Amino acid sequence: MIPAQADSQAPLVSLSGVSLTYPNGVRALAPASLSVRAGEFVSVIGPSGCGKSTLLRLAAGLLLPAEGAVARSPGCRPAFVFQSPTLMPWASVSRNVALPLELEKVPMAEVRKRVEEALHRVGLSEFGDALPRELSGGMQMRASIARALVTQPRLLLMDEPFGALDEITRARLDRELLRLWHARTLGVLFVTHSLYEAVFLSTRILVMSPRPGRIAAELVVDEPAPREEDFRVSPRFARLCAHLQDEMTRAGAE
Amino acid sequence: MNGRPAALIAPALVGLAVLGLWQSAVTLFEVPPWLVPGPVLVARTLVADAGLLLGALAVTLAIALAALACAVALGVALAFLFVQSRAIEASLLPYAVLLQVTPIVAIAPLIIIWVREPLPALVICATIVALFPMVSNTTLGLKSVDPGLLDLFRLHGATRWQVLTRLRVPSALPYFFAGLRVSSGLALIGAVVAEFVAGTGGTASGLAYQILMAGLQLNIPRLFAALVLITATGVALYGLTSLAAWLALRRWHESARG
Ligand SMILES: Nc1ncnc2c1ncn2[C@@H]1O[C@H](COP(=O)(O)OP(=O)(O)OP(=O)(O)O)[C@@H](O)[C@H]1O
Ligand SMILES: [Mg+2]
Repeated sequence: MIPAQADSQAPLVSLSGVSLTYPNGVRALAPASLSVRAGEFVSVIGPSGCGKSTLLRLAAGLLLPAEGAVARSPGCRPAFVFQSPTLMPWASVSRNVALPLELEKVPMAEVRKRVEEALHRVGLSEFGDALPRELSGGMQMRASIARALVTQPRLLLMDEPFGALDEITRARLDRELLRLWHARTLGVLFVTHSLYEAVFLSTRILVMSPRPGRIAAELVVDEPAPREEDFRVSPRFARLCAHLQDEMTRAGAE
Repeated sequence: MNGRPAALIAPALVGLAVLGLWQSAVTLFEVPPWLVPGPVLVARTLVADAGLLLGALAVTLAIALAALACAVALGVALAFLFVQSRAIEASLLPYAVLLQVTPIVAIAPLIIIWVREPLPALVICATIVALFPMVSNTTLGLKSVDPGLLDLFRLHGATRWQVLTRLRVPSALPYFFAGLRVSSGLALIGAVVAEFVAGTGGTASGLAYQILMAGLQLNIPRLFAALVLITATGVALYGLTSLAAWLALRRWHESARG
């Protein structure tokens, strides 16, 4: 056994020099490296089609890299939140949230307890018996997040989870996500299009170049948790956004 | 299923108008009943020959239902096999297509010769006719899985069996029922055609046999009455399979929502 102390220092996932070319010849990712440790909130930002989803799928082990290596800390099964809610339309919200546990053969009583807790956490306690199509877009996304939380993962991979939502819902889910991350010392790898969201949420931001994507710049956001709404309107926030904007322009211009 | 009355009333009115025209034309031009009987005469024959015709219908329906059951069982089994491996699908699908494009009248005599018992022979023929939509639709359905959900299952270490039963099967249900609707009609057609081909070598008791005999005896009203029964049965089968689809899918699938 590795001591817990050492374990928390080791990255939950690390990608070293991974590249990927799809079977149709599209080179989606130039060699890219990154790692996420427990308690880190790492955002990846870059233009559409630069390979962000590809990077996340590599980190999850859903794709194998052509070159380079992906290492996850032993016993770390990441949870994934997709770009769209990706719920089973025939199953109730509870059944959808229970799915990962049922696939992993967790005992029934335990499943029920954890599903209830996860639904409560995302504010869907009253909608356990509803079908996905009976929920609004934002509620579907929250159900999808509950499904990711239910396994109590140490690593959360999120692919533009709030991209399709309105500003108000998005801001609220951002705050909920931060609270969760802080309470559980999760490692989060978060893909986004929005530089404001990236700055508000992250401890570290990786800027990707256009396709084939590589990590062009890295920005540390040195703002302690818990972050509240006033951070969004602070001069520090504006400065960080301006800096990130510069880095993104530079990465895109090359 | 939509409850809008217009959807029922409009076709009913058209039907009544056609029947009225038909009856008046037959009466007006004094068409002999052995050429074209009027609807009233057909209805009267249906009542008079009810014992004979309904008995025959029961035989044909039994063959059709048995064939439909075989087609569903075989079709679903083949579809499961096809999604297990591309190699299996590639090597078997051409033969399913071959079976589909071969006219049943061409192979029915062979089957009737090989299978001595007439009833199983007819069921086999009708099964062949009804099989393809079940295979192709169910296969398509089992493959039409949300790739995101497939990723999710893989991420949580789902076994092949879990993916099949918890993801592929529910995803395939709408396609399965679409196939079932087509196959139910085909099973009936298959049963009738096979009986025709078998002629007196068949069970000599189904509806097709009655049509055949009525034609030979120039008993055209009875021929028409038998025809009406077959058509009504086909429509009823379609209605029943549609109802089954609606019951199974109404909660979540767009196709079952009006
Ligand atoms: N399954 C696939 N087969 C072939 N090419 C693909 C596939 N998936 C993605 N690509 C290509 O790889 C590149 C990167 O795709 P990816 O989905 O990773 O981009 P992205 O950064 O997530 O974009 P977006 O922000 O629009 O979601 C794209 O140019 C796309 O055309
Ligand atoms: Mg993407």
